[in-house]
Amino acid sequence: MIANNLKHALFCAVITLVISYPILGFNLVARGVDITLTGADATTLVMVALAALIVFGFQLFRDRIVGTITDITRPGFGTHKEPMEENRRARIESWVLTGILVLALFWPFFVSRGSVDLATLVLIYIMLALGLNVVVGLAGLLDLGYVAFYAVGAYTFALLSEYLGVSFWMALPIGALLAALFGLLLGFPVLRLRGDYLAIVTLGFGEIIRILLNNMTNLTGGPNGIGGIPEPTLFGMEFGRRVKEEGNTSFHETFGIAYSSEHKVIFLYLIALVLAVITALVIRRLMRMPVGRAWEALREDEIAAKSLGLSRTAVKLSAFTIGAFFAGFAGTVFASKQGFISPESFVFLESAIILAIVVLGGMGSQMGVILAAIAVTILPELAREFSEYRMLIFGAAMVLMMVWRPQGLMPMRRIHIELKKQE
Amino acid sequence: MSEASLYFIQQLVNGLTIGSTYALIAIGYTMVYGIIGMINFAHGEIYMIGAYTALIAITGLATLGVSWLPLILIVALVCAVIVSSAMGWAVERAAYRPVRGRHRLIPLISAIGMSIFLQNYVHLAQGSRNIGFPLMIQGGFDFGGDDTFRGSISYMQMTIFVTTLICMTALSLFISRSRIGRACRAVSQDLGMANLLGIDTNRIIAATFVIGAALAAVAGLLLGMYYGSIDPLFGFIAGLKAFTAAVLGGIGSIPGAMLGGLILGVSESMTSGYISGAYKDVVSFGLLILILLFKPTGLLGKPEVEKI
Amino acid sequence: MRTPVKKLVTAIGTSIAVMGAGQAAAEIEIGIAGPMTGPVAQYGDMQFSGARMAIEQINADGGVMGEKLVGVEYDDVCDPKQAVTVANNMVNDGVRFVVGHLCSSSTQPASDIYEDEGILMVTPASTSPAITERGYELVFRTIGLDSMQGPVAGNYLASLNPERVAVIHDKQQYGEGIATAVRDTLKDKGVEIAMFEGITAGSKDFSSLVSKLKQADVDYVYYGGYHPELGLILRQARQAELDAIFMGPEGVGNKDINTIAGEAAEGLLVTLPPAFDQKEANQELVEAFEAKGEDPSGPFVLTSYTAVQLIAEGIEKAESTDPFEVAEALRNGTFETPIGTVEYNEAGDMKSFEFVVYEWHSDGSKTPVN
Repeated sequence: MIANNLKHALFCAVITLVISYPILGFNLVARGVDITLTGADATTLVMVALAALIVFGFQLFRDRIVGTITDITRPGFGTHKEPMEENRRARIESWVLTGILVLALFWPFFVSRGSVDLATLVLIYIMLALGLNVVVGLAGLLDLGYVAFYAVGAYTFALLSEYLGVSFWMALPIGALLAALFGLLLGFPVLRLRGDYLAIVTLGFGEIIRILLNNMTNLTGGPNGIGGIPEPTLFGMEFGRRVKEEGNTSFHETFGIAYSSEHKVIFLYLIALVLAVITALVIRRLMRMPVGRAWEALREDEIAAKSLGLSRTAVKLSAFTIGAFFAGFAGTVFASKQGFISPESFVFLESAIILAIVVLGGMGSQMGVILAAIAVTILPELAREFSEYRMLIFGAAMVLMMVWRPQGLMPMRRIHIELKKQE
Repeated sequence: MSEASLYFIQQLVNGLTIGSTYALIAIGYTMVYGIIGMINFAHGEIYMIGAYTALIAITGLATLGVSWLPLILIVALVCAVIVSSAMGWAVERAAYRPVRGRHRLIPLISAIGMSIFLQNYVHLAQGSRNIGFPLMIQGGFDFGGDDTFRGSISYMQMTIFVTTLICMTALSLFISRSRIGRACRAVSQDLGMANLLGIDTNRIIAATFVIGAALAAVAGLLLGMYYGSIDPLFGFIAGLKAFTAAVLGGIGSIPGAMLGGLILGVSESMTSGYISGAYKDVVSFGLLILILLFKPTGLLGKPEVEKI
Repeated sequence: MRTPVKKLVTAIGTSIAVMGAGQAAAEIEIGIAGPMTGPVAQYGDMQFSGARMAIEQINADGGVMGEKLVGVEYDDVCDPKQAVTVANNMVNDGVRFVVGHLCSSSTQPASDIYEDEGILMVTPASTSPAITERGYELVFRTIGLDSMQGPVAGNYLASLNPERVAVIHDKQQYGEGIATAVRDTLKDKGVEIAMFEGITAGSKDFSSLVSKLKQADVDYVYYGGYHPELGLILRQARQAELDAIFMGPEGVGNKDINTIAGEAAEGLLVTLPPAFDQKEANQELVEAFEAKGEDPSGPFVLTSYTAVQLIAEGIEKAESTDPFEVAEALRNGTFETPIGTVEYNEAGDMKSFEFVVYEWHSDGSKTPVN
């Protein structure tokens, strides 16, 4: 047994050296016009050796380590804690949620403008992640081109305001509906495909949309993007220092208060907050409706779901369209917040980040997804020194999550009814 | 021959060259899919790592003062194949084996995570800039008239053709004749049954990853030399193209990968040659979507029966 | 360097601004915004190094109106999203003068906020014409426009009496902008444009494009874009025996193109701003950079230095730190700077910014033509 392990452990250690030493140990550097090879510094080499040692040690005592870990985790999970009564838990949860919401409503008035702006971005990601959560987490359709619908929403608003002078409030439903329409049109043919094919087709679709936006210079400005996208107004009141649109008044003059640049940012934040809450509530509602159950049924077992009379296409299509709808929502808010959009904001990496949020939060779980969106957006801001490693960590986290905890950090809790015990 | 047809032939040659390297990468997708039914998203990154290793070996030899071309090429090839194969093995072991047999989405997300991880691994280790590959196989021969358009086929293009053909033939022989090849086919037919019959399926699955990675490394070296520069991100898009090729030809089928690669390469070069280079990716992704919609099993693929 | 804990405090949102307005009375803050991390961080380094040097030297000479300049650095990663966050942070921190941003796509959305909030911005690197096209009062730059560089290249090409010219670009803001300007200039001069088309940026295979150029039988090719793609095009064109002469903008003019194209880079024509660090008048400054172990030859080092200098001189001239008055002073003045004499037009662009045509060599050196 040990001899066998030793051989395997040695092999693994050698493989670790082979895959890390050539890439990490030698750096290709341009010296003038020539490419030269320099050896890495001692720290890197020590790291490589250490990695090989760790792999060796882990593989050698693999059985014992894995055994210990399972021993630690097995007891204490669900045995000591009496499950809370369903009603009480729901009541506590709703109090906590209301508390958080009230906090979120009043918080921006006391903090800095930069934080509010960042919070708006977080809310946009929350909307996106909640939307993608429907598609990936609930319906089990891996959509790698989700950013395309986000782009449709953003560009709809930008183009409508550029050519027709449409305001934010008009564009919001149009953008979302158009994104949903795109979802419907794309979904109709491709949803017949099996899971992994679907992933690739949606990825291709996302790229096609981006390339088209980049190439149709006459309409979309191509790589130059579209600028001068207006901010939302409050009943015709603008938040800028000077009124831009004829017939509008400005917020600070109407109420006779001093102009403050914070009003605009806070207003946008509040809009994003309201929209995010709407998104969460609508999806929460849908999850409990027959259609939501159907999504999950189809995800769990397609054939069984079909044999129960569920229409595969209709169910999938509804998930896909609803996901696209909320991406369009988020896109409109994003365009308005930025004031300027170009195709480079809608690359595949963006899709990957949104997917990472959903996966890390726990597919299907709304609370988890919201927390993950906050963490993924804010952590790189806090630890700028590590921002280079952000994507590396995302990638590794996605793999580790799938291996150890595919249900996510905060797994979805099934909604269920327990029969009361007879007294 | 008229000028138009000479030009067409030139674009055809360009397309076939690119197509045959797509085919080499596509083998990795097709074999893995054929056996365990998952898309190895990180395969493009393994190809990229192969190219980096080859360049590191070439530069290292140049520093040591080695100048005999065949030796340089062989050493670079061997290094690239070893590192890529090890990478293929490690990726399977770390990211795919633990999640095998779970819900379909889980290995796929794990693979995407692996792909992002490897991209950034090389990015952090080697920087994001484009690094030039030294020019090693130069020259070629011309065809066509003296007066107007003169087409040319470079020796590099021919090297790519010939190497691809050799690799493909060797692989076909290996799959049909050798013990491991037979086991591979058995596992792809029915994994559980093969297991019962005493085939070490874990080993066979690892072997397919290693073979795919080795071919990707060959493609990495060839394409690095042919194009002239590499960067950490170029594996991803090449991987997508190769996957498209695999699907086009019918995923799971090795001749299909070859055919799909060639068709994709030619259609890309024709788009660049007759429409515009800016639309080349639109055409290849569009082609993929169309094929999947109308013939999801690809050109040479077998129809798949849904198993319960 | 702010500590992570401090950042946490800011981010969570104590209303106490870190660089609060309370202490600003004794010093003038200059925000420097550019990429410290990410794929173009190397260009950001140039920008920061130039601006830091200017602040140091101005302070050593007694500051501006008796007050010290303080540089506050922000990282936008050249991502439009983060640029907006940075701009909001500046408003928050009470910064009233900004040197930045680097990438045009970041500068554009950020400048909307600066204009609205009365912050004066001088970009040392963004060349997109769209930035100063919008009639903003507080937007300036210390670098030429794509639309200035294009005509220089176009006129030079036209002067060579070419038979047929192909104009290629990478479908990016920078490349397509310049290529369009070159095409229009050539058309005005009556030169035949055989081809005008985009390629896919990041692509590696240009064999089809090269065959197409061969068939079009062009004698000159203008490429709008950056060096990674042009390097490959040059190399693949040499392999396929295409004997046209290539020309590109400053985005292709660095030594990296030699590592990719090798011999094929010989004879490439490049339009570049004149090498400011070679100027006689700047030698003292160049030595100051070298004493700090920094390289002043990057394209954005001295433009960034100049941006800070202009803000300082503008404040002195206006005798006020009100950005609107400083903008007024900049528009009406003439300034002697390391990049030459600077005068501004209404839009905030320099009235003249010189570009010179260089011939590039395979050893990475360059010689001015004519």
